[in-house]
Amino acid sequence: MTPLYNVYVQDTVMILRIDLQSSIPVYRQIVDGLRILLVNGEMKAGDQLPPVRRLALDLGVHFNTVAEAYRTLEREGWLEIGRRSGARVVSRAVPEYADPETGETFQRRLRELAAEMQARGFPRDRIARELRCLAESLERS
Amino acid sequence: MSGEMILFVAFLLLIGGLSHIVPGLTRPDLFFAVTVAPEFRRTTGGQRILRRFRAIVWSSTLVAIAIQLLAGMPLAAGLILGGGFLWALVSSHGRALAYAVSPSPILEVDLAAPREGLPGGPMVAALPVLFLGGLGLWAGLHWDRLPRRFPVHWGLHGADRWVATTPATVAGFLALFAGMCLLSIGVAWGLLHWSRRISTSGEGAAAERGFRRRIVQLLIVTEYFLVLPAWFTVFQPSAAAVNVWGLALTAVIAAFTVSLLRGGQGGSRATVAAGPSGRPAPKGDRTPDACWKWGLLYVNPADPSILIEKRFGVGYTLNFGNRWTWVMLALVLVPVAAGLVLLR
Repeated sequence: MTPLYNVYVQDTVMILRIDLQSSIPVYRQIVDGLRILLVNGEMKAGDQLPPVRRLALDLGVHFNTVAEAYRTLEREGWLEIGRRSGARVVSRAVPEYADPETGETFQRRLRELAAEMQARGFPRDRIARELRCLAESLERS
Repeated sequence: MSGEMILFVAFLLLIGGLSHIVPGLTRPDLFFAVTVAPEFRRTTGGQRILRRFRAIVWSSTLVAIAIQLLAGMPLAAGLILGGGFLWALVSSHGRALAYAVSPSPILEVDLAAPREGLPGGPMVAALPVLFLGGLGLWAGLHWDRLPRRFPVHWGLHGADRWVATTPATVAGFLALFAGMCLLSIGVAWGLLHWSRRISTSGEGAAAERGFRRRIVQLLIVTEYFLVLPAWFTVFQPSAAAVNVWGLALTAVIAAFTVSLLRGGQGGSRATVAAGPSGRPAPKGDRTPDACWKWGLLYVNPADPSILIEKRFGVGYTLNFGNRWTWVMLALVLVPVAAGLVLLR
């Protein structure tokens, strides 16, 4: 089992977890979960995503919630959505890093998140351990 | 005591027996249609509710049998049995609500779950309807070869209701069976494409897929059995053939029913719930307790599902809060109603 936060991958199983009590909207959780799978290469170009209706039924959410999540990933260049063929993963060229603002945004959000976690009582050593874990997995990939 | 009387009493006992075991067939975290802790049914509170339910069920069964034996009133006996069962269920549901726990806010889906389709493909499901259409065409072209009247109802002693052969009665008869076949196809399709998967991975998901497959197979097999009465009407086989059909249909339905009961609701009796992440599996069946009316009817306009796993018993029920449920019900029931009107 590969723990990827709100997604889990093992053999033929690829689980997406949604928390209805989270302050993050469901469509955002779907986008974040799928993006982790896409970035980590768990989903490759040509892979088919579940139809909007199937995923909405299984999650018990409105079709538009899932459709909006798929459209967001389509805009980011991860998916191609066909009327009949459904949502398919496409190969996506990673843009060249040339924008210093992106780096600053990343640093700021990471620090904001760490501060928020500390404020909510999450231990500092746990935060450090999680960041080390993330760094190691990024280096491996 | 006549054979029919013995058969009816045996039927009442069978219903009483089934009602006795039904609470044990639901998913472990549901008890009388209420989300509870999986171990609740083994606690004193759970056992007390179960004992009370069974006491009401068996009391009403015995009263129904006494009425049938002493007064020979099958309708009253059936109503008492049915009423007793409903009372037992609704009151047990009310008592179980005191022990309700919040369903898990965590939802899981398997993005790589295998796709499920009709066994043998759509053509296998459509064949009986096409056969009925062909039969209607043949009847129109060979009107002189049809009998002057044909049976429309069979009892224990063979055909017991007949109607004169007219274009309206033949069309109505075929429409009736076509409607029932379409209903079977619609439910089978709905189970595969418009119902929610509750277990996400491992044995639980495989057992749930198997459970769904068996119900779909039963629906398709039943569809083929439904075609035969129409064929009997046109070709008038011997009474023995009709009896063989009746016995075979009963045996097939009984075999599927036993198989479904052994597996429990969603195949949950064969497996232990476990989360794929190593964490506990989410509690409940992903439907809010508040949307279950008396534990029997599911009304949730916010849920896109049309068919949903029952919380009491084995099988599926409709989401009456979804407007598409009503549209589909109308589409399927209109041909059946038209057939019944034409056969009057």
